[in-house]
Amino acid sequence: MKKITLFALVLVLAMSFVTAAGTKEQSSDGTVVLSAYMQIDPANDQYAGHNAVMAAFEEKYPNIKLDIEYASGEAFHQKFQSMAASKQIPDVFTCYGGARTAYVTETGLTLDLTPYLDEAFMNQFASATWLPQGSAGALYMIPPSFAVCHSVYVNTALLEKLGLEYPETFEELLAQVPVIREAGYYPVSMGNKDPWVVNSWLLGTFIERFGGREWILRAAKGEASFTEEPFVKALEIIKTMSEKNVFSPGVNQMSNTEADQEFYQQKSVYLIDAAWRTSAMDSQLPAEQREAIEMRVFPALPGEKYHNTSSAVASEGFGIAKAVEKDKAKLDAALTFIKFYAGEEGASIRAQYGEVPSYNLDLDKIELDIMQKKFVEFSAEYPMGYVFDSIMDGEGVTLLNTDLQAMMMGNGEPAKIAAEYESWVAKNDSNRD
Amino acid sequence: MPRLNKRASYLTLLLPAFIIYMAIIIFPILMSFGLSFTEWRRFQMTGFNGLDNYREILSDPVFRRSLWNNTQIMLISVFGQIPLGIVLAYLLHRKWVKGTKFFEFMIFLPITISSVVIALLWNRVFSPVGIDTTFVRMATGNPDYVVKIFENEQFAMIPILGVLLWQHTSLYMVIFLANLQRIPNSVFEAAVIDGAKESTIIFKIVLPALSSVIFTTSVLAISGSLKSFDLVYAMTGGGPVNYTYVMALYLYQHTFTFHNYGKGSAVSIIIVLLSVGLISLVRGIYGKAQKKFE
Repeated sequence: MKKITLFALVLVLAMSFVTAAGTKEQSSDGTVVLSAYMQIDPANDQYAGHNAVMAAFEEKYPNIKLDIEYASGEAFHQKFQSMAASKQIPDVFTCYGGARTAYVTETGLTLDLTPYLDEAFMNQFASATWLPQGSAGALYMIPPSFAVCHSVYVNTALLEKLGLEYPETFEELLAQVPVIREAGYYPVSMGNKDPWVVNSWLLGTFIERFGGREWILRAAKGEASFTEEPFVKALEIIKTMSEKNVFSPGVNQMSNTEADQEFYQQKSVYLIDAAWRTSAMDSQLPAEQREAIEMRVFPALPGEKYHNTSSAVASEGFGIAKAVEKDKAKLDAALTFIKFYAGEEGASIRAQYGEVPSYNLDLDKIELDIMQKKFVEFSAEYPMGYVFDSIMDGEGVTLLNTDLQAMMMGNGEPAKIAAEYESWVAKNDSNRD
Repeated sequence: MPRLNKRASYLTLLLPAFIIYMAIIIFPILMSFGLSFTEWRRFQMTGFNGLDNYREILSDPVFRRSLWNNTQIMLISVFGQIPLGIVLAYLLHRKWVKGTKFFEFMIFLPITISSVVIALLWNRVFSPVGIDTTFVRMATGNPDYVVKIFENEQFAMIPILGVLLWQHTSLYMVIFLANLQRIPNSVFEAAVIDGAKESTIIFKIVLPALSSVIFTTSVLAISGSLKSFDLVYAMTGGGPVNYTYVMALYLYQHTFTFHNYGKGSAVSIIIVLLSVGLISLVRGIYGKAQKKFE
């Protein structure tokens, strides 16, 4: 009798485990549940627009539930890599078009969206939205916006106080350094503690200015070499900036956030940062101070071929797991979500929070905060070039960034760094395969 | 027959523990060992490459710097944290300072705080925009003052070593204090009555009594030093340049950032071998010292 009781108990427990292990993906009322993993920090002001889109989606589509897990930075990638390694990825997730999340896009786990996007839908977006993403030209996500990676923020109140004007050329900027320092301010705040900053915020723009868009792509493929002038000259400009004390002291020990704070506290005249910093400025700075901030691009470099350029890359968007393709209800729900997010409805909401969406919106009709308005004007005014580190392989870029940091600390020569980088790229970079 | 049954019972009872040990410890090490001879490209294993990963790692200046930085951490742990822990424990045990409970609490405090929090606290001290830097700038009238030591290739590890000394000494102090309390007070009293000097008490009574604990803490210090990661990662991320890189960071970068699981596995095997080698060395020294004390 005891044995029968024990057997029954084990059976009940086993049944309960089996039942609990399965997730309820489609309930009897037709609700579809999608598991989602997002590199987003909903508590951060920067993602207020995202939160608003999610709320609007929930209201419009109550029959689609997203079971979301949020993570950010390296923690996001670590977990996502583990998921990819075990081939158990969520239904919907944030991913990049480039190499950063290739562990999930280039391993057959992500759905190619091309067959599911019709021409009428695609025509509503900026053409750059549909540049091929995967190595085989696939589209793994719809970029909801573009990440503008270079902007010079100018404290015009300080500039005026010092009797200066925004420099038109690099030489004029260098000439301002002693004047600004004499007055007790720092010329440029930029935090390069994480050494990718100088690459993302500056180097790409400089290469573009000297060589242009085509040259970067040719160098990536091996049709040009990184030992050539555009790359070496770009490195030389950064070296000169370090030697002439253009940056605040301890630039290589200062985090990006600390550099922002230095500028917010009006200790420096310029801040070099990404253009999306505008949302943080709108939430942290008084209106008077924001009114006095201008967004410009770096002054003209000596011998540059292309002028007044910034750099931008398609921002991360939502991808769908390849496995979802087998379940029509889930596939429809996932496509509905990503189209809502990137399309007109999502774009209109995100634009109100300062994003410049990839969807073609008439932004004049949307009421924007002070810095967000400046961001929109900035995006419209300046031509955008490539973001260098979104093209090249991460390992080589990491080695280059370390060398750049050493150079800024006085331990490296541009020509030697360029030669070492070219040697690494020739041997290892996937662009040269 | 009953003896055979007894043996079978033992083996059966051992089996679950054996399987768990194999699955959690032995299998991953063997797997890592196998992977360390493989080449990876674009998230895929492309084949075996013999000892190439080991050759590349050992000739990489970044790894060699990491190895030297780990050695510095190990030296400060074994010859800094442990002796200091003994001294502090002895001072408190002999009640040579007033308010021993207060000092016990204050010294023990750092080990209760997460390494990431400690890193953030000290980052505020060393930061170019931190309060301390601002204060020095105001006091000296030098607006360019920053803690330059991080930018010095030779000495960049010193602030981290200082923080590690501050953070971990307390753990050893508590271990030694607990073991000192096991020595009966009558032993100290008898030694004093017999006219023993303090140095005699320390070298003839205290250190022999603590020898096994010193061995254990040395093993802890060595293995902990070789896998140092959290504090360094949160404090400097291995930078500036690679000046504060450690082996675990090197392993992490190659495995999780560059997705080179072959190279990452080779680093982990090197760490295991170093750890086993050094712990065996300490064991040998301990054995000899034990014989001498006997």
